[in-house]
Amino acid sequence: MAASGPGKWRHAYRWDLDKTYLDTRFESLSELVRIPFQHAEDKVNVPGSAALLRELCRDTQEQGSAFVSIVSGSPRQLREVLEEKLRLDGIVWQEFHLKPQLENLRKGRLRAVKEQVGYKLPLMLRSRCALPGELRETLFGDDAEVDALIYSLYADLLCGRSDGEDVEVLLEGVGATAQARKHCAQSLASIVRSGDNPEPVETIFIHLDSGSPPARFAALGPRLIPVFNYYQAALVLFARGHLSAKSVLRITAAFLAADRCGPWELANLFQDIVRRGHLPYEAMERLAMAVQDESRRNDAAEVLWSSAQRMADLGGIAARSEVGEQQRLDYPALLAQFKSARRAARRSGKTSSESSGGPQA
Amino acid sequence: MSAADEPVRVALDCMGSDEGPAEVVAAGAYLSASREDIHTVLVGDGEQLAPLLDACTYDPRRLSLRHTAQWVSQDQRSREALDANPDASILVACRMVAEGQADAVVTAGPTGAAILAAERSLGRVPGVRRAALAAVTPTELRHGPRQDPFALLLDVGSTLQVCAEDLVTFAVMGSAYARVISDNPRPRVALLSNGSEPHKGPPEVVEAHRLLLAMDNIEFVGNVEGLDIPKGTVDVVVTDGFVGNVVLKMIEGLGEVISDLAADAHARKFLWRLGLNMLSSGMKEIQTLLDWESYGGAPILGFTHPVIKAHSRSRRRAIGNACKVAAKAARSDMAGTVERAIRRIPSARSGTG
Repeated sequence: MAASGPGKWRHAYRWDLDKTYLDTRFESLSELVRIPFQHAEDKVNVPGSAALLRELCRDTQEQGSAFVSIVSGSPRQLREVLEEKLRLDGIVWQEFHLKPQLENLRKGRLRAVKEQVGYKLPLMLRSRCALPGELRETLFGDDAEVDALIYSLYADLLCGRSDGEDVEVLLEGVGATAQARKHCAQSLASIVRSGDNPEPVETIFIHLDSGSPPARFAALGPRLIPVFNYYQAALVLFARGHLSAKSVLRITAAFLAADRCGPWELANLFQDIVRRGHLPYEAMERLAMAVQDESRRNDAAEVLWSSAQRMADLGGIAARSEVGEQQRLDYPALLAQFKSARRAARRSGKTSSESSGGPQA
Repeated sequence: MSAADEPVRVALDCMGSDEGPAEVVAAGAYLSASREDIHTVLVGDGEQLAPLLDACTYDPRRLSLRHTAQWVSQDQRSREALDANPDASILVACRMVAEGQADAVVTAGPTGAAILAAERSLGRVPGVRRAALAAVTPTELRHGPRQDPFALLLDVGSTLQVCAEDLVTFAVMGSAYARVISDNPRPRVALLSNGSEPHKGPPEVVEAHRLLLAMDNIEFVGNVEGLDIPKGTVDVVVTDGFVGNVVLKMIEGLGEVISDLAADAHARKFLWRLGLNMLSSGMKEIQTLLDWESYGGAPILGFTHPVIKAHSRSRRRAIGNACKVAAKAARSDMAGTVERAIRRIPSARSGTG
C-alpha cells in the first residue's frame, strides 16, 4: 500500500514495472490486447522480484524505512489493478507513477506514447527534490527500453557529473516535449545536494529481460550492473549491505519456486556474477559463513557446495573483481548507439537476443 | 524432474581450434539460450573466454566457465603437448567427465590430443583395444527411419594400423552408434576393400570378414568398394584410420572442387551462368548434402563417455551441432550401448580382444 514517509529514509529504491518487476509480455498484438483485461492475480512477477522488493523494504528500527518509488510506462487506467497486484505481493510504496497515455493520445502527442526519457526523467528528478541530500538510491530497470540511459543520466545529474546541457541534448535527441525539458530544468535547480553523499545513486540494476549481452552496457560504467535475474541482484545487494543472509535465503527460496532452478543453475548464476566482477571475494566468504549459520537445510548446503565448486572453477580470474571508476558519459553518443542497436534488431526482424550472435542451427 | 529429463552437461573445450575460441564460446552461449536440456561448461582460458562470452546473448543458468591457462594448439605434437601441460583444456574437459562433473566432451582442438586426453582421463570400454574416429559422409541413398542422407565411416584417423579384431570392434561400435544416434534399429555394416569377394583385401580385412560373418548381433553385409561410399549402399563403412582419413579428405576435397568449378563456370560464360541459375535449387540441395557443419562432429568411439571431435575449422553452427550430438549420445547412453555390444564379441568375452 502507499505509505506516507516517516522523517528518516534508509535508502531509496526506484523500480520500473513492466519487464522489471512484472513479467509483462507485449511483443505481439494478442499479448498487448490481453493486458487491460488482466486481473491483479493474473499478473506474473519476474521471478524473485516481489521477494527482493519485500526484503529491501523490511524495516530496521535503527536505520529507518526504505523509500520505494515505482515509475511505470503503463497507462493510468491500469492503476487499480497494478496497485492491487503490489498489495497482493505485500509491497509498500511511497510513489507510484503511471503514464498519462489517454491524455497523450487525446492531445495528439503520439511520440509521447512510446517515448520514455521525457516521461521518466522529469518524474524522477521531481521526486528527488522532496528527498534529503544524503539519501542514497538503487535503481531497477530492464533492457527492453532506455532505462539504462535514463537512470545513468539521473545518477550523473545527482552527483553533478552531468548538467542541464546533457539533459537538453538527450531530451531533444529522443524528441521529448518542451514541457518535459522545462520540468527537468526546474527540478534540477531545486534538488538538495549533500557533500557527504557525492554519489547518491549507488547501483543501477538492469534486468536482461530481452537477452541483451552484458557487454552492451559496459560503456555505462561500473555503477550499472546487468543482471539475468534477481538472485544475482540479491547477492550483490547482500555484498553492499542492503540485505541480510536471511533475506538472501528467502529470496532464493522464492526464486527457486518461480524459476525452476536447482543448485546447479544457482551455482552457475553465482559464478556468472562473480566472474563479471560484481561480487567481491570477501562478500562471498561472508555470505557462505552467514548462510551456513542461518540454514541447516540440505538444499542450501548443496547450493553452497556447488557455488564453492563453481568459484574454484574460475581459478585466478575470480580475483579480478575490482571495478573501475565511474567516468563521465557521452550521452548523445550512447543514445545513438542504443538507437542503432534497436534499428538493427528491428531490421533483421529479430529480438535483441537473437540478433546478438549465436548460430541459427 | 526424472533422470531422463535431467539436462546433459557438455564440457566444451574452447581452445585449440583453427577459428579461435570466439566461435566456440558463441556456440556455447547460443545453446544456453536456446536449449534447456543442455548445460555447457566452457573449458579454457578464462581471460580470453570471459570477454567473448559477455558479448554474446547467453543464459547463465545453463552455462559456466572452467578456467585453465593451458591448452594444445593445432601445430603442437599432441603427446608432448599434453605431457607438458597437465591442465590442458582438453585434459580438464575429459577429467570433468571422469569425475562426474560433465556427461560428454566436445572439442575442435587437435584430434590426437582429444584421443590421448580421453585415453588418460576416461579410459576405454573393456574389450576395446583402439578407439575409432567416426565421421559421417554424404550419400546418394538415404539411411534409417529418418532417411538421413549420410553414412558412418570409421575409423578416419585414430588408428593407422589395425588388426582384424580392431576392425571387428570398429564394426560393432559403428553399428551401436548408428542404432543410438540415427535411430536405425539394424544398420547395415560393411568392410571397405578392393572387391566385394570375401578373399579380397589385406589379411586383416579378410580375417575381419570371417569373424564378422560369424556374429549374429550385427547386420554385416560383406565388403564394399570405394564407389559404394558416396552411393550409400550401407549404413556403416569400416576401415583402418589411414585409409579412412584419405577417403574422408578426398570426399571433402571433391565437394570443394565441385563448388569451385561451379563458381568458375558462373564467372566465365553467360550461358553457363544461365544454366547454373536454372539448376540453382538442385545445386543448393547438393550444397546442403555436402554441408559438413550440419552433421555435428565426429564421435571418437571406444571411450567410457561420449567424446565428440568437431572439425578444427568449425564455426559456431558446427560446434553447436556437435554439442547436440554429444548430448544425444550421453542421454541415450551411447557408451553403455557400445560396451554391451562389445561384450557380445566372442574374443572380448574371452578377454583376448
